[in-house]
Amino acid sequence: MGRADGEDKAALSPGGEDTADLSPDDSPWSDSAWSEDDDDDEVRPRSPTHPIDFLLSADGLSMLPPQASLSFEDSGEGSGSDADSDGLEEEDDAAAEESDSSEDEVAPRNTVGNVPLQWYKDEEHIGYDISARKIKKRDREGRIDSFLSSKDNDDDWLKIWDDYNAEEVKITKEEAKIISRMMKGKTPHANVDPYPDYVDWFEYADKGHPLSNAPEPKRRFVPSKWEQKKVVKLVRAIRKGWIKFDKPKDEPNYYLLWGDDTDTADNKRQGLSYIPAPKPNLPGHEESYNPSVEYIPTQEEIDNYQLMYEEDRPKFIPRRFESLRSVPAYEKALREGFDRCLDLYLCPRTRKKRINIDPESLKPKLPSKKDLRPYPRTCYLEFKGHGGPVTSLSVEATGQWIASGSSDGTIRVWEVETGRCLKVFNVGADVHHISWNPSPERPILAAIVGRDLLLLNAEVGDEETQVRTKELLHVGEPTPEDDGDKKPAVRWVNNDKFDGITLIHHRAASTVEWHSKGDYFTTVVPTGESRAVLLHQLSKKHSHHPFRKLPGLPVAAVFHPTQKMFFVATKKFVQVYDLQKAEVVKKLESGLREISSISIHPGGDNVIVGSKDGKLCWFDTDLSTRPYKMLKNHSKDITSVTFHRRYPLFASSSEDCTAHVFHGMVYADLNQNPLIVPLEILRGHLSSDRRGVLDCKFHPRQPWLFTAGADSMIRLYCD
Amino acid sequence: AAAAMDADASRQVRVRFVTKLPPPLRAPPTAIAVPAELSRMGLSEIVNSLLLSAEPDHQAQPFDFIVDGELVRMPLHQFLLAKGISAERVLELEYIKAVAPRKQEPPLPHDDWVSAVDGSNPSFILTGCYDGLARIWKDAAECTQVLEGHSGAITSASFINKGVETDGSLHVVTGSKDRSLRLFKFDTSVTIGSSKRIGAYKILPGHTSSIQSIAVDPSRNMICSASWDTTIKLWAVEGSEEDSDTVSVKKRRMNSDASGPEESQLEGSASSTLLGHTQCVSSVAWPEQRTIYSASWDHSVRQWDAQTGRETWNMFCGKALNCLDCGGEGSSLIAAGGSDPVLRVWDPRKPGTTAPIFQFSSHSSWISACKWHPSSWFHLISSSFDGKVMLWDLRTAWPLASVDSHKDKVLCADWWKGDSVISGGADSKLCISSGVEIA
Repeated sequence: MGRADGEDKAALSPGGEDTADLSPDDSPWSDSAWSEDDDDDEVRPRSPTHPIDFLLSADGLSMLPPQASLSFEDSGEGSGSDADSDGLEEEDDAAAEESDSSEDEVAPRNTVGNVPLQWYKDEEHIGYDISARKIKKRDREGRIDSFLSSKDNDDDWLKIWDDYNAEEVKITKEEAKIISRMMKGKTPHANVDPYPDYVDWFEYADKGHPLSNAPEPKRRFVPSKWEQKKVVKLVRAIRKGWIKFDKPKDEPNYYLLWGDDTDTADNKRQGLSYIPAPKPNLPGHEESYNPSVEYIPTQEEIDNYQLMYEEDRPKFIPRRFESLRSVPAYEKALREGFDRCLDLYLCPRTRKKRINIDPESLKPKLPSKKDLRPYPRTCYLEFKGHGGPVTSLSVEATGQWIASGSSDGTIRVWEVETGRCLKVFNVGADVHHISWNPSPERPILAAIVGRDLLLLNAEVGDEETQVRTKELLHVGEPTPEDDGDKKPAVRWVNNDKFDGITLIHHRAASTVEWHSKGDYFTTVVPTGESRAVLLHQLSKKHSHHPFRKLPGLPVAAVFHPTQKMFFVATKKFVQVYDLQKAEVVKKLESGLREISSISIHPGGDNVIVGSKDGKLCWFDTDLSTRPYKMLKNHSKDITSVTFHRRYPLFASSSEDCTAHVFHGMVYADLNQNPLIVPLEILRGHLSSDRRGVLDCKFHPRQPWLFTAGADSMIRLYCD
Repeated sequence: AAAAMDADASRQVRVRFVTKLPPPLRAPPTAIAVPAELSRMGLSEIVNSLLLSAEPDHQAQPFDFIVDGELVRMPLHQFLLAKGISAERVLELEYIKAVAPRKQEPPLPHDDWVSAVDGSNPSFILTGCYDGLARIWKDAAECTQVLEGHSGAITSASFINKGVETDGSLHVVTGSKDRSLRLFKFDTSVTIGSSKRIGAYKILPGHTSSIQSIAVDPSRNMICSASWDTTIKLWAVEGSEEDSDTVSVKKRRMNSDASGPEESQLEGSASSTLLGHTQCVSSVAWPEQRTIYSASWDHSVRQWDAQTGRETWNMFCGKALNCLDCGGEGSSLIAAGGSDPVLRVWDPRKPGTTAPIFQFSSHSSWISACKWHPSSWFHLISSSFDGKVMLWDLRTAWPLASVDSHKDKVLCADWWKGDSVISGGADSKLCISSGVEIA
């Protein structure tokens, strides 16, 4: 910019020739003649003084004296003085320090402003200072003086006369250098790179903000007029048929000569699909009528073929013929033609649709059996002694003893630890069901013997318990129930033979089940009609039958493990009663043919039911009255189902001589459905009289399962 | 294949037989080459022939061979392959006398299942029976004393003073399913031929359920008993005087109740009760004065401080345990078996792990008893409901020997005199297998 201005001034300068006279007469460099002379070697140091005027004008510090423009013209020749200026640097250091840059900061002394200075040409003063006092014109040195001083002082050329302030200014060497650089058309400062590498400060591609925040112009939204015109043109062309889309495809004029043409579109016809015959191998040299000698097997090799299996034997043995004429007819032609006809005759008329699905992927994702240990797996202990099918068994609350009832008319008490038979009660009639009082303080056995219930003292436990049990098992006065003229449902009678109590039922009872506290128990009389399910209280020797109406014949009845609820299983349904309110809470519809057994999860919300058609239903009573899971696991009747009280296990036993053990995890989280995993099929019992396993019960504390078999054995399966 | 077999047969291993046995059984320590497919029997034959050549009247006998602390139980080349031992260098084979019962003594008949046996006294065997009687058998031949009084099956029995009897009488403690322990005292100098009936001189009631196991402390002053009622009780053998006084009234009452000609009986009470197990405590062992180990059906083995009665260590193994014994180096290993056919040995000194260091699984049913050899660190026996008593060496996973003399479940087993294995079972017999030479 500065340079451009300078040029402008230079351009103007010829017109302003006369202005040179306006400058003070004694100015040494205002005269062009002097400047001309400056080209001499002697005055060369003077030449750089010319740019100073230029500098001043460029900086705008002062008005450009008209003569400065003249001198500037001359400076073009004087530009060669750079080399010498270096030599002056050292001497000028002091001067540079004196005239430091504070000069720039100080406002000009004169305050007249940017007015032509010739206005003050004839005045005594050159202007006014900041406090409006006149600034006197100073006398300048005469030309002679200045010339002398320039000869005396080497740095005199650095001095310039400031007309505006009427004072002599001495520029520093740096300033002189800057001026000289500017004169040469370079940047004022040496360390400024005028052409730096371009730095793109605005990377637009992934910047969040646009360079411009201007709103989208309207033209972006308005449909383009020109595009519309183009479209109209195209549409017209299409209408008139100038543009055609369906160009005729150029059919390839080649085809797969040896390709497998099973999957080509031509074969996907309707109806019987085309099944291509398998491609025969291409004939090789050995099939030639006159193969090379190496293809023809020796007699020894042909003999060896006879030793091979039929299917391993080569189908074709190369032979050699003198000429094609001597090749005989194909000897198997008739045979193979017949076979082909046979194939066609027997070939399927429809194609079988086969889906290739990995059967493993269809299985539900179940945890591995290893992670669900412990569960009963192996039979380690057998309890032998019964003389007939063991129909029922029950485990004592602590798991030290088990009791079993059999069709041989005995009840046996066994020691779990060793399998020793501790006691035999010869009750003289079939024992149908047996149940051990769940309270450890009451070692009492309840057994359905024949058609009645027998309460027995199992005679385990310490003396105190024995005394209390004996007291408990004594009926004071048999109070006849006033049921009108009908036979009472139950009569409590002392049984002297076993020091127990017999509950004589009006009809044959089938099952007995204790309440978890060990005071109440229930018996089921299937044919008892309105008195089919009976509740008994041991401490009061009292019985009653609160369930008048049942949807079918009752099969089993159980107490809720914790709440005052009661479950009655009939042949098709499970009724859930609230004992306190004496009403039906739920009716579970099993959909089974005939329920045979029921068991309640220790949590009380889940019920499993076994049926006579080998199916097992899991009900989640919170979820639905329909089965949550139906397992068809047994091939014959399920005789018993049972839950473990501590481990997440349940088991079912069946007439097919097996007992199945399942993992049945019930989660506290109501959103999570119970997890059922089949774990193990326990075998070992033998079939006797087409009956298999008649009962199964878990050990109350260990992951062990007892099974009672029709082969008069009790087995203990441990983990 | 035939060539390979030839190569196999011709392969030889250079071995040197060393032993710690006394001189007549010491073979020359020179290295000899033996066929690589030889197993224990072949090696035994070689050693026997070596010994025979040194001493003409040598009786051939079976030996067992140890390489790097492990018994050789397969052909030599397989063994070397399995253990990664080079067949190039000379193999040092240490031989010991094979440990196996050589003789079956006639079984001692009982009236009912033999459920407890103690062979800690070299001249007497104590057995407990399901008929409630404990019997003393002198020299494994004749029943000299019958200890009566229990109304239930005896589950465990133990000599209190095991070694030489001090005043000519031996003290015995029995635990029974009738929830009591009884202390008996009998004269050792009884002539053979009379089976005298002896009543208990002291009854220790207190458990509320059947007693499963008893153990006597090493100083012979205390008894601990484990019961189905989940407790372990400690009893003093010699009750203090006031103790006897307080029970004198009860004693008289009991005497009047019992119409038999019983001697006066004392009653003692437990000095302390160790609580902690949650199920039946099935077995206790008292290897050192301060520590008691117990095994339970709640799947745990616990260590108790006998003085403070505090539980100091426990371990859960996932199986209901039936038996436990301490032995091995410094009585620091625990062997226990239970409701599965595996006999496991744990090292309680190993921190941070409950994995057994040895597992012996040749039985096919529950383990009913296990006992360490009284002096050997390596040998133990186990009895199982499969009717077998097996001898184990910690240095091999195979049983050394299996005694099949029982026809039914074996309920108890013990060592006797250090060289016999006695076992009682559900066939009402006490079987004695003698001639187990453990050097």
